[in-house]
Amino acid sequence: MNTSFSNRVSALTTNVWVRVVFGVVVAAVLVVAPLISSKFVNYQLGLIAVFAVAILGLNIVMGYAGQVSLGQSAFLGLGAYIAAYFVTADLPIPDELKLPVSLLLCAIIPAAVGLVVALAAARLRGLALAMVTIALPIIGIPLAKRFREFTGGSQGTTVSWLRAPDWAEGILENDQWRYYVVVVIAVIMFVLARNLVRGRMGRAFRIVKENEAVAVAMGISPYRYKVMAFTIASMFGGVAGFMYLGIVQYTSPETLSFHTSINMVAAMVIGGSASILGTIFGAIYFVLVPNLANEINPSLTALFSGAILLAVLFLVPGGIVSLPRRISQVVRRLARRRGGAAPQNPSDQAPVTAGPESTEKNKGKRQGQ
Amino acid sequence: MAYFIQLVIEGLATGSIYGALALAIVLVNRATGLINFAQGGMAVLSTFVAYALFQAGAPLPLAILGAVIFAFILGAAIERVIVRPFERGDPDTAVVVTIGLFVLIGGVAAFFFGYEPRQFPSFFGTTSIDLGGVFVSLRSLGTIVVLAVVVVLLQLLFRGTKLGLAMRAVADNPQSAALSGLPVSRLLMIGWGLASVLGVIAGVLVAPQLFVSPGMLDFVLVYALAAAILGGLDSPLGAVVAAWFIGVIENLAGAYIDVIGNDLKIAVPFLVMIIILIVRPQGLFGRKVVVRV
Repeated sequence: MNTSFSNRVSALTTNVWVRVVFGVVVAAVLVVAPLISSKFVNYQLGLIAVFAVAILGLNIVMGYAGQVSLGQSAFLGLGAYIAAYFVTADLPIPDELKLPVSLLLCAIIPAAVGLVVALAAARLRGLALAMVTIALPIIGIPLAKRFREFTGGSQGTTVSWLRAPDWAEGILENDQWRYYVVVVIAVIMFVLARNLVRGRMGRAFRIVKENEAVAVAMGISPYRYKVMAFTIASMFGGVAGFMYLGIVQYTSPETLSFHTSINMVAAMVIGGSASILGTIFGAIYFVLVPNLANEINPSLTALFSGAILLAVLFLVPGGIVSLPRRISQVVRRLARRRGGAAPQNPSDQAPVTAGPESTEKNKGKRQGQ
Repeated sequence: MAYFIQLVIEGLATGSIYGALALAIVLVNRATGLINFAQGGMAVLSTFVAYALFQAGAPLPLAILGAVIFAFILGAAIERVIVRPFERGDPDTAVVVTIGLFVLIGGVAAFFFGYEPRQFPSFFGTTSIDLGGVFVSLRSLGTIVVLAVVVVLLQLLFRGTKLGLAMRAVADNPQSAALSGLPVSRLLMIGWGLASVLGVIAGVLVAPQLFVSPGMLDFVLVYALAAAILGGLDSPLGAVVAAWFIGVIENLAGAYIDVIGNDLKIAVPFLVMIIILIVRPQGLFGRKVVVRV
């Protein structure tokens, strides 16, 4: 019964029409949500989009290509600083072009920095690469404080921009407009990432992650693909930085903080490594769970995030996104242990007096004899 | 010249603190083949135990001894309960596990002691001595001596005792070690326990300077990781030499190169590390790993 149920579920998810309907519903929610929500909710939703893109980049280099990166926050911060500088700078271009040009720069400059770092770092194996990436936020923070003219030093820079355009006056508030801009960018980035990981490059990433020697034997240069993955991740980080400045309107050396990187890695794993959908869960986790933990008890926030990460690694190694599969796996295993002859609904059996675990063990033993 | 020597000695002292933590990282890596990002967090938690014991009225040596025992048990327990299922598995997952531990242990320390930095007494006092025009604080000298003693003790342990031999056997090849009757599980726990003790030594040495707070060793950990990787990850001597090198070069660059100054000196060891690793990816003292398909 359980297996046929999960079969039916997977048949549903592969059905084209179901997918189309699901997509339309998601799109409708994304469009309508800001219109009926408070400013605070819109801000949170925007932040989720921001970190979804940053974590998506991290997922490409870490989840898909298997290279541990602890420096994603450096690219987020770099992108935010670039955006802050260029949207306020006097550029010899018309005002309408300022936004796309600075967005483009927020993609290109971090990607270039990432490329240079990766050209050196990708020569190193495994954890040495992680070390080099750790160095990025750690060097980035004093650098940001040093170049005060660009970054505003320790205080950071506040930029008031991305207001609702004139034609939208009376229709959209500033926060709604910002939400839409950020979500449109996020959707574009997700489509790009999806095509990337499903294409030739995504396959190459997976082989490099699986076994570098095999990759070499297949004519795939691990070095080149590591550099590419890292560069792409940096670009996503930079774009996320642009979005961050759009939503938060403020950036400081804190944005680069090494802890942001660590938390993004945690969120990526909790959402689901090497999964596009998991990235979204990860971003929701990244933004909302610290808030919730703060509501309960601020001094417990770190404790909660560490415990949740470890619990996920122990119980659902594939992250939240693999939860349905994992549950059906566990249920099936339990059913098999019970003799497999009569696969019953586990909820009928659960409240046995001696506790479910001990009875399972006993049953397993009896079977073995 | 006197100033230069002073800078070098101070650099060696900070390098010794990085070195103690780097040794812990190397020990764990040799025993279980993974890099423990929680090494600093474990050390901080144990240092907090020393702090609490001291506050409760215990004399400093006793408080430190209590912290050392706590650290050993903590390290052994973490290996057995949390890390064991992920050893010999996917190394990336294991790294994420230790990152989770890092966050969790920091959270535990913050929950019990809060984020406010607390003063910690120095074992060596605050006096400086005059060595022919060079003023050196007793604390710097003491720190260097402690690390030197630790290195010698570790060498004696690993070269001169049966326990050390058994631990080396497990690090070398756990399967054959188990087949020849060694209690592999217990030895791995001892390895982690010892590493954790090295961590608390670093914590207690640096605590008077940095004050005790949950994030106290975050930067020290990053330096220690750099030293461990630079030294070659499987070489204790390499880790210590690299840590001293990092401490000295950072201090000198900060003092003599104007552009770098005090704020950017943190970048120097990393730039040096990156350059060295590009030339020698296996580190200064590491053996080249050949992977068979």
